[in-house]
Amino acid sequence: MRALIIEDEPLLNEELEEQLLEEKFNVDSAETFREAEKLISGDEYDLVLLDLGLPDGNGLDLLRMIKKYYEDTVVLILTARGEVEDKVKGLELGSDDYLAKPFAMTELRARIHAVLRRRFKINENEILAGKLHLNLNHLEVTYDGRSLELTETEYKILRYLVLNKNRTITRIALAEHIWGSKIDDRFSLDFINSHMKNLRKKLGEAGATDLIETVYGVGYKLEVHETQQ
Amino acid sequence: MKLNNKILLCNLILSVGIFLLTAIGMYYLVNDTVYDELDNHLLQHKTDIVNQVTADPASLNQIQRLGGLGSYEWVEISRYEGLIEAKVNNFATLDTMRSASEMTPKAYRQLTTTLSANDTTYTLKIYEEVAAWQNISMTILISVLAGLLIWILLLYLVNQMVFSLLLMPFYDTVDTLETILDPTDFNERFPQSTTYEIDVLNRALNTMMNQIRSSFEDQKKFIQNASHELLTPLSIIRQKAEKILSKSDQLDRQTVETANDIQQTAVRLSRLSNALLLITRVENKQYELDEEVSITAVTQDVLNELRDFISLKNLSLETDFNKEISVKGNRELLHSAIYNILQNAVKFSPEKSVISIATHEDSGSFNLSVTDQGPGIPDELKESLFDRFKKGNGQINALGQNNGTGLGLSLVKSICKLHGFGYHAINTNGSGAEITLHF
Repeated sequence: MRALIIEDEPLLNEELEEQLLEEKFNVDSAETFREAEKLISGDEYDLVLLDLGLPDGNGLDLLRMIKKYYEDTVVLILTARGEVEDKVKGLELGSDDYLAKPFAMTELRARIHAVLRRRFKINENEILAGKLHLNLNHLEVTYDGRSLELTETEYKILRYLVLNKNRTITRIALAEHIWGSKIDDRFSLDFINSHMKNLRKKLGEAGATDLIETVYGVGYKLEVHETQQ
Repeated sequence: MKLNNKILLCNLILSVGIFLLTAIGMYYLVNDTVYDELDNHLLQHKTDIVNQVTADPASLNQIQRLGGLGSYEWVEISRYEGLIEAKVNNFATLDTMRSASEMTPKAYRQLTTTLSANDTTYTLKIYEEVAAWQNISMTILISVLAGLLIWILLLYLVNQMVFSLLLMPFYDTVDTLETILDPTDFNERFPQSTTYEIDVLNRALNTMMNQIRSSFEDQKKFIQNASHELLTPLSIIRQKAEKILSKSDQLDRQTVETANDIQQTAVRLSRLSNALLLITRVENKQYELDEEVSITAVTQDVLNELRDFISLKNLSLETDFNKEISVKGNRELLHSAIYNILQNAVKFSPEKSVISIATHEDSGSFNLSVTDQGPGIPDELKESLFDRFKKGNGQINALGQNNGTGLGLSLVKSICKLHGFGYHAINTNGSGAEITLHF
């Protein structure tokens, strides 16, 4: 799949490129409105990461252009403008999702995963991580054939871990994913622990004792080895 | 007391004072003049009589018999019986007498002198009634004073008009100043005036207002730009730290913890920046306030978002939404405000305590109040609870951590001010705080 990154900050652009390359995308990147315009008019992309605040133009105009020529392109808006109008405007113009800076890369990955799935109408609703089956549409999770009774929050945590399998998820990114960025993190982080305790207990009862690894002082990781698949 | 009333009153008191002084002065002056005139008159008569008697001593009897000189004057001549030898013709005494006889019912002026005729010394008394003169002079005096009094009253009325006309630009300025609630909202200019002082005043006010406005706007713009420009670098810091953390298994524990701290701080800083950005945008009135928002529905939404925390802390909710409140405003902002209040309540509530949320109508205003059973508002914070960056010194919440950015309630304040809603916080009798919004 082809991806285009439009972001004027070189360091961030680089970082995003690295992430998308890891996800096996073919990546082009642009740092200015003009560059982006040229690339868009030349090629069709499957995914565009679009920063709205470009030095030489409004990102929303690029969005308009993309949607005019390529209806199927998935556009994810990245912006430092935490403004509701921008978000609404972007979604109205056909963007698929909206991420306010600064975001966690794990969050970006989960979002990309979700929008691509939605856009390309992938019928396969299950994602697998070893013996763990997770239905993306319902709160249905099974491990080795046994179904687990999870609360909504526990399901969200597990889904996030599965979508970012084999990667360290920081607790702060997890808290943001579940409760949004409005919640005071000094207060929410402790709740992650409680939820995680319950989730592990349920997974343990189903036989997956060590599925979620604790990365001390940082967060969690769902380790899936190729041999298990 | 208004300035023009003060000036008018001062003027009036002064005028009346001067009027009274003038009246007294004039009374004495007029009296004096009347008596002088009378005395001259009497002396003139005396000279006439002396001349006449000297020329023709026989006329003495005639004068004696005739008695009067005119309707208000009369003459009495009798033999001098004094012991002291009279200095004939050379002196006269003048006296004011009252009711000497029935003939003279009123005050009169009496001239006494000696007169010698036919080698006999006589006492000559000439009388002249004062009243007649006094009547005329008093009439003149009173009419002059009455005229003055009318003049004072007229002056008062005219002054009232003239002053209010002259001071009108001054009062316009004062009235405008009284209506200013927020210098940043004030876009009028104080007008030019032909009166020097008012012109100086208005120009000074204009300059100061401009300065206040522009420094306020600069400050807001700065916060907005700074917050915005901070977010991209913060994003990079966060992602670089995240990248380090994703390889945590290859790193020693201290490095991992440091990277984690960097990440957390970046996140915290970006939240602070976002909160500042939001407050500034609210204060800059960059939001439309035309949605019909149901407060009860918004509160319910917020409670859903916080459900996890409520259940994990085993908190019980007592909700009383009997009074449906619907207001015109911005849903997003009102959601934010209620979110902040409820998040605080949840944050400060001890485990297994109760949070009460109620809507009620109180003397025409609709209220939403949230009561928790936490530690309540510390005394030193009571005055400044809703101000920016104010939090209790060393205040430790139930989780053993310092609480928040200190911007939550200041956001509530900004949002309420933008919507024109009231807000206040009190400590309840038992323990805990109650925050009420008045719509």
